[in-house]
Amino acid sequence: MIKFSMNNYKTFEVKDWIEDNRFQSWVFHGKEDAFWQQFLHENPLQSAGMETAKEILLAVRGSQDTISGSEVKQQVAKILDAIPEDGRSQWWKGNWLRFAAMLLLMSGIGFGLYENKHYTALFQAIIAPIVENASGPEMVEVTNRSVDIKLVNLPDGSSVVLKRNARITYPVTFAKNKREVSLSGEAFFEVVKNPAQPFLVYAGSMVTKVKGTSFSISANDAEDEVKLVVKTGVVEVSAREQGRRSASSVSEKRILEANEQVTFNQKSRIMSTKMLDKPVLIGLPVEKQDFEFRRTPLNEVFASLEKTYGVTIRVNKAAISNCTLTAKLGDEPVLEKLEMICAVVNAKYESRNGVVIITSEGCEY
Amino acid sequence: MDHSERLSEPKLIACWQQFCAGDKSAFGEITELNYAALYHYGTRFTSDRDLIKDCLQDIFLEIWEKRAALSYISAIKPYLFQSLRNNLVRRIRKQVNFFEIAENEILHEVSPESDWIINETDQLTAQRMKRALESLPKRQKEALYLKYYENLSYEEIALVMGLQRQAVANYLQYGIQKLREYWQHAIIFLIIIRETSWY
Repeated sequence: MIKFSMNNYKTFEVKDWIEDNRFQSWVFHGKEDAFWQQFLHENPLQSAGMETAKEILLAVRGSQDTISGSEVKQQVAKILDAIPEDGRSQWWKGNWLRFAAMLLLMSGIGFGLYENKHYTALFQAIIAPIVENASGPEMVEVTNRSVDIKLVNLPDGSSVVLKRNARITYPVTFAKNKREVSLSGEAFFEVVKNPAQPFLVYAGSMVTKVKGTSFSISANDAEDEVKLVVKTGVVEVSAREQGRRSASSVSEKRILEANEQVTFNQKSRIMSTKMLDKPVLIGLPVEKQDFEFRRTPLNEVFASLEKTYGVTIRVNKAAISNCTLTAKLGDEPVLEKLEMICAVVNAKYESRNGVVIITSEGCEY
Repeated sequence: MDHSERLSEPKLIACWQQFCAGDKSAFGEITELNYAALYHYGTRFTSDRDLIKDCLQDIFLEIWEKRAALSYISAIKPYLFQSLRNNLVRRIRKQVNFFEIAENEILHEVSPESDWIINETDQLTAQRMKRALESLPKRQKEALYLKYYENLSYEEIALVMGLQRQAVANYLQYGIQKLREYWQHAIIFLIIIRETSWY
């Protein structure tokens, strides 16, 4: 459940800006950039104060002498290596699978040699928790069995619109260094930008790597071809060796930009790309929607989001009958879009069991 | 990199408890999650990157050694910051008798997040603001950094810097007052907002 409320940003002064957490994460980490650009655009009088606050915050942070993610990993590995061995295998480094397999083998030998059920039970008791680990993180699988489209919000806030019979599998929490999902069928993705944690889609024998963008994929089990069309941003696609998932097994790579389509033939393993007029692959309205609103009544905005994403939005229509929205939304996931809209019209939203509930005190004019 | 963002508290605390019970993978996770933020904090005190990395290895190994006695700690991030600070300051004092503040040396900084409304005027304001901040005593600067960049509370800053809460409040108040004097006298430039691309 995500809650969000709007501050009185229009009356903010420098002293308020520097204390505001949301403003800080924009200045330091570029979070919600689209929202802030929009805010600046609509509130030009605030820009001077915001600029000063930004300079103060950046001066407080000082120079950006950062350390790369890979160097952090290297340093952490060095620290872990320096820990004296205490007899236990270093299973956190990935050897645990071999360790577990060895134990299994040992338990088999034990059973075969002595036929001692007691020992086997003992071994199994030791193995059980390890084997549970071996199956990896807890996974969620969502299949759209309805005739309509189905919206899935991923743990990182990215959204996926599944067409009929499409299936997506993803972990309850993503790994720290990457976000991996598997897809079968047809779907449209809007991925939260996070260059430090690439987003990988496994569809058939094609791997798609993105950092934050939107695109459609068609990967039907019965077809030899996997197709992808980019709506915004840049994606990288590559073939993956059968049954493998590691990035090292990847061979050919193609970089695609907006309106480009790739077709990957899984049998011949040939990849071909072409340019499209419109980024339409699977016939969903969201594929070509541009989410530009000009004094559009809020009720219409919500209706359009409901239709585009197949999400149910509950709102007191009478309360917001006065509200209009002027905004240009991009390829943000649906929750981020709602957050921006709510911020502009002074409303709050909650997402519960797939239903979005909006509370607003209305708009004054 | 988004290194100063906090992991959800319950998750971090659960991870910490696992580590205290001797779980090396939990320890690895805590180390990895905090490393970049600690490293950046270390650059407040010295420009010697290898020294910071050495110190970090020291403090993490030390923390691992005494893990069984650490399960009472709930303010994990401040504890780590404090450990690094103590270790780093002790080592620097051995080397020289004063803090070497590296950040002042770099005048032309281009960071990814500063490209949002870039023009020459901004560069000028940024330079001035930097100079205003540099005129502050180092402890005030440090308190401001911990409050605004790391989002620590007064109590947590007091813990990290080994001060009374009131002293932290004073540092921050003076620091902000100083900066406010600066920004009130600063010439306000009209900022031209570029219509940025929507990616």
